[in-house]
Amino acid sequence: MDMTKFLDQFKLMLFVGMFTLIGQLVSSGASPIEALPGMLLIMLIAMAALLLKTLVPLQFPAFAWATLIAFILTIPMMPTSTFLLEQINKVGFLATTTPILAFAGISVGNKIGILKKISWKLVIVSLIVFTSTFFGSALVAQLLLTLQGTI
Amino acid sequence: MTEKEILTWSGRSSKFLKVLGVVLAIVVVSELIGMVKFAVGPGTVVLLPMLYAVIIGMLITPDVLGKKISALKKLIGNDEIEIAGVGVMIALLPLGVRYGTLVGPNIVKVLEAGPALILQELGNLFTPLLALPIALMLGLRREAVGATVSICREPTLGVIGERYGMSSPEGNGVLGTYIVGTVFGTIFFGFLGSLAILTGLHPYALAMACGVGSGSMMTAGAAALAETVPAAMKDTVLAYAATSNMLTGITGIYSVIFLAVPFTNWYYRRLAPRFEAKDLKIAEQEAE
Repeated sequence: MDMTKFLDQFKLMLFVGMFTLIGQLVSSGASPIEALPGMLLIMLIAMAALLLKTLVPLQFPAFAWATLIAFILTIPMMPTSTFLLEQINKVGFLATTTPILAFAGISVGNKIGILKKISWKLVIVSLIVFTSTFFGSALVAQLLLTLQGTI
Repeated sequence: MTEKEILTWSGRSSKFLKVLGVVLAIVVVSELIGMVKFAVGPGTVVLLPMLYAVIIGMLITPDVLGKKISALKKLIGNDEIEIAGVGVMIALLPLGVRYGTLVGPNIVKVLEAGPALILQELGNLFTPLLALPIALMLGLRREAVGATVSICREPTLGVIGERYGMSSPEGNGVLGTYIVGTVFGTIFFGFLGSLAILTGLHPYALAMACGVGSGSMMTAGAAALAETVPAAMKDTVLAYAATSNMLTGITGIYSVIFLAVPFTNWYYRRLAPRFEAKDLKIAEQEAE
């Protein structure tokens, strides 16, 4: 495993954590100090996810590892569940999304030029594709949830 | 540059600080504006800080405002855009953890909904069903197969690229939908998520539908949807969306290879002759 790369990733992660807490303070006035332990736990799991991605020879992205670890640790029968949920829930779900999309907006910057080269027809077709995939999936889910008696 | 090189600070720390400073400024401005909800006809559109963040981020890049304002061009150039790309990957991880903590406590509900969560992927077949005829009507031909075969995230890009080649008409089609999704996906799913409740479909079914595309499409759709459902359903909505997205990551590629590609090609062969006959007629008329 590559230690320099891992530390560089951690450095960026520290900023991401800081931005999330600042964002939360701005939006809801939530104290960054109070949410700090939860944020540190999140960062710890996130770094474990990056580590597992390099150690386990599966085509499993770090994002999926992060979800999987946090999922297993917070299943009700796990001894870690109550403590982790209590701390991590102090970090707002929406607060973690804003930094991602700030990075994402900048990162597609050099693709907007390419977008102009795509015919307007493909843009219309894409939007129809998104809409029909979304509602196709919703219809199948609705049907199955009704058959299962879940809804 | 490799990912490791992009991550290297030494000699490049000013570039990192520029990106990080800009991201912090975008976060603060977006959170200051805060969530805005407004009624449009019978529905509610939910605008979340993440939406402003992605729009501001795009606006300040060299292709848009950077072209006109030279100070912006100095702030965000191509190196900074590459760093931001790696930044997305890192910043996604805390969200991944947060999703795990939503699914864990709701494990019983997720298991109960298991079959629906796995099989909703089949809804993908509705994509070419509706989108292919429209693409043909607009005058696209083999590009339409690539563009409408699925929602065209990375796995589809790989499958179509391998089978037809990226520079083939099919490859152009898949790339088109992919790029539009990358640039406008979050914004569009935010609107879909906030207005979808008007269809009368159950919030849980819509939650699963939010998971069909990329991680940020899902986040934008699910977060907006969660604001329009009764408070007691909020966590379950987010948990279902996250699980659906995770399962799509596993099953999606197989459904593209074994179902979507054969089906779209079969459908194309049935539909295309009518349009090609029309093409021929137009060509003949032009020749005269």
